[in-house]
Amino acid sequence: MEWANDKSKGGVLAHLERLETQTNRSRKNLDPQTETAESALEAKIHKLRCLRDKLRAEVKERQARVKASTASVEPDQTLEVNEQEAVEGKQENMKAILQAYRFTGLSGKLTSRGVCVCISTAFEGNLLGSYFVDLVIQKPLRIHHHSIPVFIPLEEISAKYLQTNIQHFLFCLCEHLNAYAGRKYQADQLQSDFAGFLAGPLRRNSLCNLLSFTYKVEPHGQSFPFCARLLYKDLTTTLPTDVTITYQGTDALSTSWEEQRVCHENLFLTKPLHQVFTSFTRKGEKLDMSLVS
Amino acid sequence: MDSLQAEVRALEAEIAALRRACEEPRTPEEDASRALKSLQEIQQSDSGAWASSKDLKGHLGHLESELLFLSTLTGINIRSYSMRTEDLTSTEKTEQSIKKVLQKHRLSGNCHMVTFQLEFQILEIQSKERLSSVITDLNIIMEPTEYSELSDFVSRAEDRRDLLMFFQSLHFFVEWCEYRQRTFEHFKEKYPEAVRLPEGAVSSCMAVRSPREPGFELIIVWRIQIDDGGKVLPKLDLLTKAPRRALQLDETRVLETAPRGFRALLGVLGIEAALESLVKSLGVGEDH
Repeated sequence: MEWANDKSKGGVLAHLERLETQTNRSRKNLDPQTETAESALEAKIHKLRCLRDKLRAEVKERQARVKASTASVEPDQTLEVNEQEAVEGKQENMKAILQAYRFTGLSGKLTSRGVCVCISTAFEGNLLGSYFVDLVIQKPLRIHHHSIPVFIPLEEISAKYLQTNIQHFLFCLCEHLNAYAGRKYQADQLQSDFAGFLAGPLRRNSLCNLLSFTYKVEPHGQSFPFCARLLYKDLTTTLPTDVTITYQGTDALSTSWEEQRVCHENLFLTKPLHQVFTSFTRKGEKLDMSLVS
Repeated sequence: MDSLQAEVRALEAEIAALRRACEEPRTPEEDASRALKSLQEIQQSDSGAWASSKDLKGHLGHLESELLFLSTLTGINIRSYSMRTEDLTSTEKTEQSIKKVLQKHRLSGNCHMVTFQLEFQILEIQSKERLSSVITDLNIIMEPTEYSELSDFVSRAEDRRDLLMFFQSLHFFVEWCEYRQRTFEHFKEKYPEAVRLPEGAVSSCMAVRSPREPGFELIIVWRIQIDDGGKVLPKLDLLTKAPRRALQLDETRVLETAPRGFRALLGVLGIEAALESLVKSLGVGEDH
């Protein structure tokens, strides 16, 4: 009830004043040593409070600075990084597409001088060699470097098209290289996969547009051989334009051998070499006539 | 006294924490941006000369120029391309020296107005002596076009797995088709009364009517053929249409020999001049 009485004697502020007076009185009763220790602590507390307030202000300021920087700088940075990622993604995609152009037969790179074109060759699904032509784009257009074999009529093709139509020049070159690669591939296949049919060496020139060989219809068989001479007058083709087959047997004049000789000629004119010999493998001496179109 | 000491300890702890906060080199936000920065540095060092984003854009421009050059050169516009690889190398000791890799490719694009999508597989076999790459499977999906000649050619390319032939022949085929269309349109514009295109300019027919003899009509059928070797060749034929009475009166068999004569004319004059002379032979464009 004392609390109520105190309250009634002047309210909360008066009560606080009284408490303060009591504390002061009790302090005066303390010994001097304790008093100095306490005052030292109070001084220290005051100092620490000042330092704390200063540090609080500093931290607050720092947080405000960071907030401002993340609000203004960071979105830009994120934007820049996202943009860069997008650019890099686009770049990778473009590089892949540029790589894919090799399947069209013509790919290349722009150089400081002009353009370096790569010509890829293939024959019936077999991806073969690649050749390059480094062109200097200036008047007149000229070839700086190239890896075209010497027997390909590059000078002739250049003289015809290089100054007038670069596209035509490259397609013409492409045609020659693909035909050469195709002829060479056929001759290589004959030598490696069908050596058993050959009764002697396969003779060919560097351009592979003249082939001559002696072959038997049965691999390692006792039958008399046929002599073949294949000429590719058109250097842009993989099939011969002229085929001469002669039969070396004693019964060379017999009708059945003549029929077979004519049939062979037709086969060589219409089918690639390895396909002709595959038909011999499948049928033995009995030819696969369905191959003759 | 104890309460004062407790307050001192509390203040000291708070001050220490505040000091750490002030001395810390970066906040979590700064940490994130620093990580991004280092990532950028890695990417930049990877991309060599194209370090800054400005240079990246420059490189992109360079690649775009290369793409433009190749699409102009080949006539083929590749829009998308992807590849997956599968290692088929055998674990058996006898075949360990032979490395086999199967590549699965997907490619889509267009050649002028002809759109295509390709799926093909390449088997790469690497032995000690040599490396061989063979297309083992080729599927060509083409959007329907007015060019009926293309379907046989596509089937042939698929059977032979001849990707290079497909692209090169397609390019020349489309070029010839566009040339045919331009030629037909030219004659239609030049002689609108006499020339008609029964199936439109994209088709293979052009009809020329005689202004003097209503029953007479010459029909030029211009096909574009792709031979077995992938060579694209134009094939022009002439068909004649005349009233029965005229056929009876044609004692010198001019109409009968006209197709042969037209082929000879083509050999001498070339396509445009031969067509021009044919139109003129019917008295078209003459001033009376």
